[in-house]
Amino acid sequence: MSRLRSLGLVGFLVVALVALVIVAAGIGQLRIPPAEIVGSILHRLGLDLGPMPAHPQGDNALWKVRFPRVALAVLVGASLATAGALMQGVFGNPLAEPSVVGVSSGAAVGASLVIVTGVNFLGNWTIAAAAFVTGLGTTLLVHSLSRAGGRTEVVTLVLTGIAVNSLAFTLISFATFIANTSAREQLVFWQLGSLNGATWPAVTAVLPFTVVGVVASIILARRLDLLSLGDRSAAHLGVDVERLRLTVIVVVALLVGAGVAFAGIIGFVGLVVPHLIRMIAGPGHRLLLPASALGGAVLTIVADLLARTLIRNADLPIGMITSLVGAPFFFWLLRRTRIRQGGWG
Amino acid sequence: MKRRLPTRMDSGATIAEARDVSLRLGGAVILDGVSLTVRTGEVLALVGPNGAGKSTLLGVLSGDHTPDTGAVHLAGEPLSHWSPVETAMRRAVMLQQSAISFPFSVADIVAMGRSPWHNTPRATHDEAAIQEALTTADITPFTHRTFNSLSGGERARVSLARALAQQTQLLLLDEPTAALDLHHQEAVLQLARAQAADADAVVVVVHDLNLAAGYADRVVVLDGGKVMAEGGPKEVLTAEVLSGVYRHPVEVWEHPGHGGPVILPRR
Repeated sequence: MSRLRSLGLVGFLVVALVALVIVAAGIGQLRIPPAEIVGSILHRLGLDLGPMPAHPQGDNALWKVRFPRVALAVLVGASLATAGALMQGVFGNPLAEPSVVGVSSGAAVGASLVIVTGVNFLGNWTIAAAAFVTGLGTTLLVHSLSRAGGRTEVVTLVLTGIAVNSLAFTLISFATFIANTSAREQLVFWQLGSLNGATWPAVTAVLPFTVVGVVASIILARRLDLLSLGDRSAAHLGVDVERLRLTVIVVVALLVGAGVAFAGIIGFVGLVVPHLIRMIAGPGHRLLLPASALGGAVLTIVADLLARTLIRNADLPIGMITSLVGAPFFFWLLRRTRIRQGGWG
Repeated sequence: MKRRLPTRMDSGATIAEARDVSLRLGGAVILDGVSLTVRTGEVLALVGPNGAGKSTLLGVLSGDHTPDTGAVHLAGEPLSHWSPVETAMRRAVMLQQSAISFPFSVADIVAMGRSPWHNTPRATHDEAAIQEALTTADITPFTHRTFNSLSGGERARVSLARALAQQTQLLLLDEPTAALDLHHQEAVLQLARAQAADADAVVVVVHDLNLAAGYADRVVVLDGGKVMAEGGPKEVLTAEVLSGVYRHPVEVWEHPGHGGPVILPRR
């Protein structure tokens, strides 16, 4: 992939993202044309340019409801897709994905316990921090259980994921069981994955996790390329393999914590996006990771737009939309891998 | 921490050393009091039967295995004193590479050999080093193919090119010729000779005793984790030594042309 084409891909994704942010913010029960959205943003920035929303409630709807929701979609999508690409690199397996191997549900355990118990030790950041901690534990567990000789066989990975997911969902079920009615309702919607409750405080709580995670992943990119040669060869090229693995796991947990804390479990973003980017741009992580972050944001905005517009007056769970596309995609990848390997052996 | 860049050593200097190294893996004694000196300007061949400890000894020199007892030195210091990147600036390793996790191209993989020099003055040599390695390993025709689409012999040459692109003074080759045809076997060992002529040190694990006889300056015969013989090919590759370690009668002839040993199992 030449430098020019790489820049072209990143440029295209940035333009698509900006355009989608503006379009998505305008679509809903109250339609606001893109020009008025740009105008509203410019006015907030102190520039007296462009038209303000014509509808009396337009500006309010944008800043109270639409923008936080779109912003959270960007952060959650970028986090999940980057986490997926990182996991695939560190597991040496293109099928590794936070929701498939159980890291998302592991993070959800921490978040749901906070929701149910109502504990609050870090204010706004409490849910995200709890999701990070249990997500980290889960990633470490999956990593130690499923790795052999620096690689993870598909069968081992998927079976480990089934075991970890079922344990995590048992704990979430327990949290749902002991919850009071309002917390229970919150938990149910949140298990299905939804950006319905997006608020500015949620956005500010997630933002640092996503930024730190994405920046760290780009710093690790070069070493992740070397890791695909196998642990020994990576070490021969000067990579401190154990330290790299541990660092990547912490970054994955940060990103999954960010993705799960307020939006719940949104599956397969981390599978579909890095895969498509690899098909277009090749496997090099220096382009894959930032492009996945952008692509994840794009995909999540689109999925959320579908979730709230497919059925009139209904806000479908976004996790349902991504799984509807992602699960068959995963199945197709599994079949293809199996054919290529000539059975699971 | 500041990375210490390597300085080139003169020909004949000791670049790597294992002193009285013993190692058990999974309860079995793999290396039993092995001492080995690797000097610049020479090709050192490690030979011996399966399970003799050749690859493990190479792994100890490269830092993959930490010996239970004994010491390993690289470029005059204990191996553990160098950081992973500093070690990678001083020695390159070629393994039998089976497959890689993602569809990287041959060009990508050879370029990975330059990664220890990232952010150093020598990074300016990257392009030249990669081109030279591609040419030397004779893989320019398939630089754009993905690694996993190559045959075993082609993969071996790509792994060799990656190690060459690293441009270290010590080259450790683990069975580089195992998957290669006759032409490329000879080419790899000629290459090892050429590197040694430029004051590099090359340690090569080989099964083909005639390759060791034809190209090595020094041969170390291992058996049961011990050094059974060490010296020039003519002194070491004798019918007596070889028949003993391989537990099969071996005949050694003198080549009518160059006078070197020709080794054949008795059939």
